[in-house]
Amino acid sequence: MALTDSPGATLSGAALHLGAPSTRGRQLPAALILVVLAFAAVWPAAAFSQDVAPQPAPSSSPAPTATAAPPPEAITAQPTPAPTPAPAPAPAEQVELVKPAILTNARIARWAFLERSTVARAEPSRTARKVAFLSRLTPERTQNLVLILERVNVGGQLWLRVRLPVLPNNSTGWLPRTAISGYETVQTHLYVDTKRFKLQLKRLNRTIFTARIGVGRKKWPTPTGEFYVRNVLRGFKDPVYGPVAFGTSARSAVLTDWPGGGFIGIHGTNKPGLLPGRVSHGCIRLRNRDILRLAKLMPVGTPVTVR
Amino acid sequence: MTSIRTENSLQAFTLAEVDVDGAIQETMAAAAGDTRAGFLAKAGLFGGGLIGGGALLAMAPAVASAATKNDVAILNFALTLEHLEAEFYTEAEKMGALSGEAALFARVVGDHERAHVKGLKAALGRAAVKKPKFNFRGTTEDMKMFMATAQVLEDTGVAAYKGQAPMIDSDAVLNAALAIHSVEARHAAWIRDMMGMSPAPNAFDPAMTKGQVLRAVASTRFIVAARNNTGGSTRPSFTG
Repeated sequence: MALTDSPGATLSGAALHLGAPSTRGRQLPAALILVVLAFAAVWPAAAFSQDVAPQPAPSSSPAPTATAAPPPEAITAQPTPAPTPAPAPAPAEQVELVKPAILTNARIARWAFLERSTVARAEPSRTARKVAFLSRLTPERTQNLVLILERVNVGGQLWLRVRLPVLPNNSTGWLPRTAISGYETVQTHLYVDTKRFKLQLKRLNRTIFTARIGVGRKKWPTPTGEFYVRNVLRGFKDPVYGPVAFGTSARSAVLTDWPGGGFIGIHGTNKPGLLPGRVSHGCIRLRNRDILRLAKLMPVGTPVTVR
Repeated sequence: MTSIRTENSLQAFTLAEVDVDGAIQETMAAAAGDTRAGFLAKAGLFGGGLIGGGALLAMAPAVASAATKNDVAILNFALTLEHLEAEFYTEAEKMGALSGEAALFARVVGDHERAHVKGLKAALGRAAVKKPKFNFRGTTEDMKMFMATAQVLEDTGVAAYKGQAPMIDSDAVLNAALAIHSVEARHAAWIRDMMGMSPAPNAFDPAMTKGQVLRAVASTRFIVAARNNTGGSTRPSFTG
């Protein structure tokens, strides 16, 4: 009887498989890698709209192997056709390995802590261009986290496309699965309307909270796009920010030399009479009673859409 | 073996169907200090008296009343392993990377493990340990890694229950442990068969001590420290 056939095989045996480079990965046809990269390139960063979950285009790639119906939370995208002619049919196993899966949509979002400081890359490859350096801690000394958009499996190596807290806003990049913690899930999504000065929190696509807000003045505009909540601060002694301040992944494109890097917050105020309106340096201000209510409803990791 | 493995073939049997002479019911009723009728009423109350998690839930009152301090520790050890397995299969289902029989395996076995958690928590009540935090490090997101990990998790579960059985004080707790142990062994055989391994390679299976199991679990780094460092009282440096 072979050792691996023994019931005495240990868990550490499984651990040894984790993250080990795969021979198959090195043999992955270049055409298949192109399919993955093409998918990453055509995926719109702002696809996660208020009411519509992202729907990739129909696939013309070789059909994946038969799959069981996924549970409600498992939202698996079909491969998007590459702009180049379809590659020659490949073994079914390899096609399945590069099938991307959407991990965040308008109803459910997944996020994770960074296990260590790491580099985000432009493509799911260790040799791809670096797009950002992510430190393990935020400027507020909380554990840094990333919103996870999708996953690909390239030759047994798992890569995640994540939203990045960097300029230019709306940037995304790829991290190896080994760089992050276990997944956390949120069912909330915050929508900010900078034209109507309104904020709306939804849970499972149902509105559970609205408030009037202040946003950035014209010379210090609140950045628009797709972001997420990174931390929540309480108990600090600064009435300018009110009783609670959420930190987001959005950054001012103007006040780049602001202490901490010019991150945009969502917080209370000591001047409620100014709201609603264009009153801030870019942050989103709420009346204190509203931010206290929001703090009870909105967990960290919540995606934020600013329009 | 594969040809007969359908969802129908995995349907649960009722206690009455397999316990023809009523010996199991009498034993459990005695352990609970109950009449047979009283036990059956409880079994019906806790999910129709299904073998597995349902039966464990039905046994919960008896287990709770009979467990010694030593048994509580063993049950909590078992609960930790069951949390690990249940979360592993739950996440694997949600991540959508499985297909075919692997997806069926995750769904069926996940249901069992979640039932084990529910039953053990019911038996332990307030003494139950909290669910740990997990990081499965991608093993729930890749078919091959999932199957390899499921196989060692199930084999370890079987060996862990076997290792604890001789140390259990009360018959009620032993009954509960055995009800789970045999189900874990079926899981192990199933996943081993799926992987082309012998489902039943030995006439006599080895046991694992608690220390051996904990070291094996630690080596996976699946159980991680609970981190709650997403907040603080630092003065914000946001643009304001």
